[in-house]
Amino acid sequence: MDVKFNNRDPVYVQVIRHFKEQIAKGIFEPGQEIPSRRELANQLKINPNTVQRAYKEMEEQGLIFTEGNLPSRISKDELVLKSVREELIIEAVETFVYSVRSINVPLQEALNLVKDKYEGEKQ
Amino acid sequence: MIEVKEVSKGFGRKKVLNGVSFTAEKGKITSLIGINGVGKTTIMKAIMNLIPINRGEIFIDGEKLSEKSYEKITFIPDAITLLPQMRIGEAFIFMADFYDSWNEERANELLQFFKLKKSDRISELSKGNTAKVNLLLGLALDVDYILMDEPFSGIDIFSREQIANVFTSHLIEDRGVIITTHEINDIEHLIDKVVLLDNGVVLKEFETEEVRENEGKSVIDVMREVYRA
Repeated sequence: MDVKFNNRDPVYVQVIRHFKEQIAKGIFEPGQEIPSRRELANQLKINPNTVQRAYKEMEEQGLIFTEGNLPSRISKDELVLKSVREELIIEAVETFVYSVRSINVPLQEALNLVKDKYEGEKQ
Repeated sequence: MIEVKEVSKGFGRKKVLNGVSFTAEKGKITSLIGINGVGKTTIMKAIMNLIPINRGEIFIDGEKLSEKSYEKITFIPDAITLLPQMRIGEAFIFMADFYDSWNEERANELLQFFKLKKSDRISELSKGNTAKVNLLLGLALDVDYILMDEPFSGIDIFSREQIANVFTSHLIEDRGVIITTHEINDIEHLIDKVVLLDNGVVLKEFETEEVRENEGKSVIDVMREVYRA
């Protein structure tokens, strides 16, 4: 696991974002065990208190759950997991729309470019 | 918690600390930041009662430092204090004689972690490895608080990474750490709290995640603001 952290967003927010991306990509599967607070801090080279905070927040959002003393796991709730993917897509699209709109690109032109670029990148 | 309250210290006519106050909590990593000569090391020595202070008070878990405190708090200076002709194994024996809190098991674990050998003579180690031995001797004590003076200075990038890894491991877990540095880059994501010093006073004390969250600023952003103001 390798994550590039920026210095201006709270690290715990960046950790949550990383988890959401892994969930959206299907790398983290429903019910999958996640690293302990200490393991993750060590892998990502960040403060264990920060990981603790990220886990607490994700627990509140229902992204992960913990039963008793067992390791935490990714939620099994398909609805929650689906909404994570949607949230990331909408966020990305909004950013894109905001940028092209600010330089007055017509919708059709933007869409064509998206199509070309998307397919081009894939090959 | 370590509480430093209105501490002043002068050497001759020169005032080094001029009413310094801050706290460092257990389970958190607090970084004292400032350019050379602002009194970072003096603060650590004052906390350890290695130098007398002129004014102010220092409490460790609500109590003033006493003989017993040295089993609870340790200071890792920026240069190793043991005799250079000692082998690492001999340094272990020396430490075990001196401190009840010496944890041989942890010392051996650290030895492996840093890839050092007991038969190595301190005087024959590279600068980076000497720094690691120095750190090892402090970390192997079962103390609640660890003060580290410039653990990263003059060390190559790989050794720095190795040392930074210690901070995210169980070797530090739940202890209170105060670390001085002028190289924030290595540890920006590791520290909980920052105390910015200048001319013997605390300019600002803040939690790193809080300023990122509330102000969208990195530690370096805050430093720029504070020092260039």
